[in-house]
Amino acid sequence: MIPAEHFYYIGAALFSIGLAIVLTKRNAIMILMGVELMLNASNINFLAYNKAGSLDGQFFALFVIVVAAAEASVALAIVLKVYKHFKTINLDKIADIKD
Amino acid sequence: MALISIALVIFLIPLTAFAMNVIAPKSRARTASYISIILLLISTILSSILLLKIGSESAVTRMDWFTVGSYTFEVGVLLDFQGVLLLVIVNMVSLLVHIYSVLYMAKDPGYTRYFGFLSLFTFAMAGIILSDNLLMVFVFWELVGLSSYLLIGHWYSKDSAAKASKKAFIVNRIGDTGFVVALCIIWYQFGTFNLDEIQVLMESSQLQNGSWVSGLSALPAVWLSFMGIGLFLAAVGKSAQFPLQVWLPDAMEGPTPVSALIHAATMVAAGVFLMSRVVVLLDLTTLAIIATVGSITAFMGAVAALAQYDIKKVLAYSTISQLGYMLIGIGTGAYEAALFHLFTHAFFKAALFLAVGSVIHSLHALKQKHNLNIDAQDMRIMGGLKSNLPVTFYTYLIAAFSLMGLPLFSGFLSKDALLVASLNWSAAVGQLAYGVSLLAFATVTLTAFYMGRQLLLVFFGDFRSGFSVSEIQEGGWHFKVALIILCTLSIGFFWSFNPFDYMSSWLLNTLPAKLNSTPQFDLEVRDATNHSFVGVGSIALVMAGVLLAWLKFKPGKILTFAESDQLSFLERVSINNWYLDKFYERTILSFIRWLTLVLAQVERKVIDRLVNSFGWIGVIFSFVVGWLDKVFIDGLINFSAFFSSQVGGMTKSFQYGKVQSFIIFALVSLALIIFLIL
Repeated sequence: MIPAEHFYYIGAALFSIGLAIVLTKRNAIMILMGVELMLNASNINFLAYNKAGSLDGQFFALFVIVVAAAEASVALAIVLKVYKHFKTINLDKIADIKD
Repeated sequence: MALISIALVIFLIPLTAFAMNVIAPKSRARTASYISIILLLISTILSSILLLKIGSESAVTRMDWFTVGSYTFEVGVLLDFQGVLLLVIVNMVSLLVHIYSVLYMAKDPGYTRYFGFLSLFTFAMAGIILSDNLLMVFVFWELVGLSSYLLIGHWYSKDSAAKASKKAFIVNRIGDTGFVVALCIIWYQFGTFNLDEIQVLMESSQLQNGSWVSGLSALPAVWLSFMGIGLFLAAVGKSAQFPLQVWLPDAMEGPTPVSALIHAATMVAAGVFLMSRVVVLLDLTTLAIIATVGSITAFMGAVAALAQYDIKKVLAYSTISQLGYMLIGIGTGAYEAALFHLFTHAFFKAALFLAVGSVIHSLHALKQKHNLNIDAQDMRIMGGLKSNLPVTFYTYLIAAFSLMGLPLFSGFLSKDALLVASLNWSAAVGQLAYGVSLLAFATVTLTAFYMGRQLLLVFFGDFRSGFSVSEIQEGGWHFKVALIILCTLSIGFFWSFNPFDYMSSWLLNTLPAKLNSTPQFDLEVRDATNHSFVGVGSIALVMAGVLLAWLKFKPGKILTFAESDQLSFLERVSINNWYLDKFYERTILSFIRWLTLVLAQVERKVIDRLVNSFGWIGVIFSFVVGWLDKVFIDGLINFSAFFSSQVGGMTKSFQYGKVQSFIIFALVSLALIIFLIL
């Protein structure tokens, strides 16, 4: 039986990798992929807590997956629009929020 | 009520004439002057009607003028016999002078201006006469002074005329300070300027323990004298009394009809008239001062007239002398005699001036005809004019007799009344007071002498200008009408049914006796004990003066006129008017000039320096303030701006648009929060 801690380790590692991607990548799509990783890290955590017996965690994971899919579709649509407008999806170059 | 409306019409007519002459265009100048003559004729007739109706009554109508705090000032009309009579005289003389001036000023470029100011003067004079309170009198008093100033300076492009008008104005202002002081005292003590109320309050006032009490108000007794002296000072200025008489001879720079109207008949008499209005306010000290000053002026004026060569100056000094007489009358308690002399003098002196104006006019025509360089007013070039100026000569003769005080003429009556009054006053007051009568009687002889001298120099003997006397022509009907009417009224019958006795004069009998109501006034000099003695004596004195003049200037005698450096002492004193002008020049004027220089120095050295150093202090201070401003205030503001920009810069860097750095901050903050909570 794999102890619960290992799940936590993987979740944490996955979260950190996702976070690192979100923080370091310049490409908007790559950042979205980082966000997906972080969401999946939290899914792993939900499942790991569920080892005790109840199925609540699994339902949460399902919800997260569904919401993540919706979010991904919306985000990709935005990215498409951004690309049409700015001819790039490099976040540094479209940092027009300033001023 | 009807009387009041007539009075108001009389009052406003000259003002209308003034306005009309001012707005009349040059092309209508002559028409305008004739219309003002008609207007004045109307007001003369109206005032005569008023005189017949008023009798010895008096009427007052007044209304509120303005209110200052709790004090209400009033305007009102006072009609009484003396005022209305003077009103008639002012209007009549003004009318005749207007008629006369049509010819005299015919070629003058300032024709409308001249007639306008004559009417303005008549208006102001009517104002003085009709005013029922001293404040209004003061207002019109100043207006009279103004019109006198304007008319003396009629030929303002002439330097001497401009100077003379300024001199008259300034000297009159000196007198007016006295008037203002007196008004202040009267207001303080009585709280009213109305003449009738003042008289009542004066009667009820008392002298107690050296203070002068009237109602609730009390002043030290000396202010009673100050009030009288202040009022008298006003009369001294206006009526050209010693020591302010110096302006009147210079005022002869104005046109001769102006001299006749203003500086002989009416304006100079305003001082005497004012004195007669306020005679109830004068205490014994003031009256003694008035009598003394009057006698000194009478004598000085007569002496100054003795040796003048300017035909108008003789009359000017004579006017000063006669005004002195009138004030002797006021000072000796015979105000009605003073007024009597005022009225008779107005006619014969106006006649004399207009006759002299006629002579000057004729000589001026001669001068222009031959383009001569002579003075048309110099008696040394005149002589023998009686055959060619007959009307002028006879009217002059009658008026001169009247001025000398020969029986049958008006001057005799009024002068007699004054001499009797002065003698009785001297007898009542005591030894030193006989000086007043002495000077008054001496002046009778001097008057006869200088009038005789002028008569002989101008009308008798040979014409000394080097031309034939037949070239002299008399002026037209304008002159003759004015002269004849004025000299007719100088005949004694018009003033008294018995021309040898002033006591039977209708004028003196109608004038109400004004008892002097000053507290502790106990002088009673109202009788005629010396009447016949004075009458005979004065005739003898006149004869002596005429005889002296005859001996000195009789026709046929070769007259030599000494150059000014060979004159005798008396002549020099006379021709220079007692050196009063020089005395003022040396003392008061040079002191004032010195004072102005000193003040200019003070101004430059002290005040300017003070102001400059204040300026420097200001500059230095502002530099310091400027520096402080720049360094501290601006520094503070700049620093706060700098600080905010720095803070802004710092905060701005968080929101630099780098989405990922937001996430880092969010993460770090979250981590910190978690760390702090756990």
